[in-house]
Amino acid sequence: MPIDRKYIGKTYGPTVYTAGLEKMREFAFAVAGGVPSMGFSGSTPPADLNPVLYDTAAGAQSTYGSVIAFPTFCVTFAIAPFAMAVADPEFNINLLMLVHGEQEFEILDVIHPGDVLTTLGTVKDIFEKAAKDFLIVTTETKNQHGNVVVRGTWTAVIRHG
Amino acid sequence: MGKTYFVGDTFTHVRECDRYRPTYYAAASGDFNPIHIDPDAGMAAGLGGPILHGLCTMAWAVEAATNYLGDPGRVTKVRVRFSRPVAIDDTITYTGKVTAIEGGKLTAEIAAKNQKGDDVLKGAVIEARV
Repeated sequence: MPIDRKYIGKTYGPTVYTAGLEKMREFAFAVAGGVPSMGFSGSTPPADLNPVLYDTAAGAQSTYGSVIAFPTFCVTFAIAPFAMAVADPEFNINLLMLVHGEQEFEILDVIHPGDVLTTLGTVKDIFEKAAKDFLIVTTETKNQHGNVVVRGTWTAVIRHG
Repeated sequence: MGKTYFVGDTFTHVRECDRYRPTYYAAASGDFNPIHIDPDAGMAAGLGGPILHGLCTMAWAVEAATNYLGDPGRVTKVRVRFSRPVAIDDTITYTGKVTAIEGGKLTAEIAAKNQKGDDVLKGAVIEARV
């Protein structure tokens, strides 16, 4: 059954996430072909990983003044409203039929360890096309200074059973 | 310092989805959807087994661009459409091309293909400050 378009405009959040240095390192390690751990696997970074993503000394000397997060680290926290939307009981979505169709991020600032990131999400659109339901959620994340650091557009595609 | 960037520059990047990559990416990202970490769930969903997170496939496209740019802090926009799942043991080749540099903004289009030549991303575009 298609999702009712009356839910366009429904909001989720705000959710609050504090960026941590080790999580930022783990994310960078996992993307770069390593193991997301600074313990069991030791602290040797994967080959060719940019030091500004894990090395505090390199970060301090960079134009950013600290280690920064990999550009799409924002998925760890900005996904919260999207995850809430796809699990919203009012939408009755079978998660086994759901695929992530499209993704867009507009990145306005880098993320530093200790940043407190507040994300609010809004159902932007709901429609049916080619026997699939589309659910589009937009998110906006601000840091502790009130600056927008990232905007996301998340598109879920639900195949009909 | 500074690297110079030109319209028409190309770059390539290759990543393999090793057996544990979906589990590692799940741990790093927090997305433990069973279709990524449980072979039975991947089969039940008709995917033939566990699949990699689309957002990891996307992260590798960003990595292709940041390796070229030399600075992961420059990325200002990422847009992708996920056109095909990435399975265990798939090797993804990213081929990027700088299509515009205007007003301090670089635009690159990136193709991402598996070892069979199928596109796993479509319309992938990255923008960066230069």
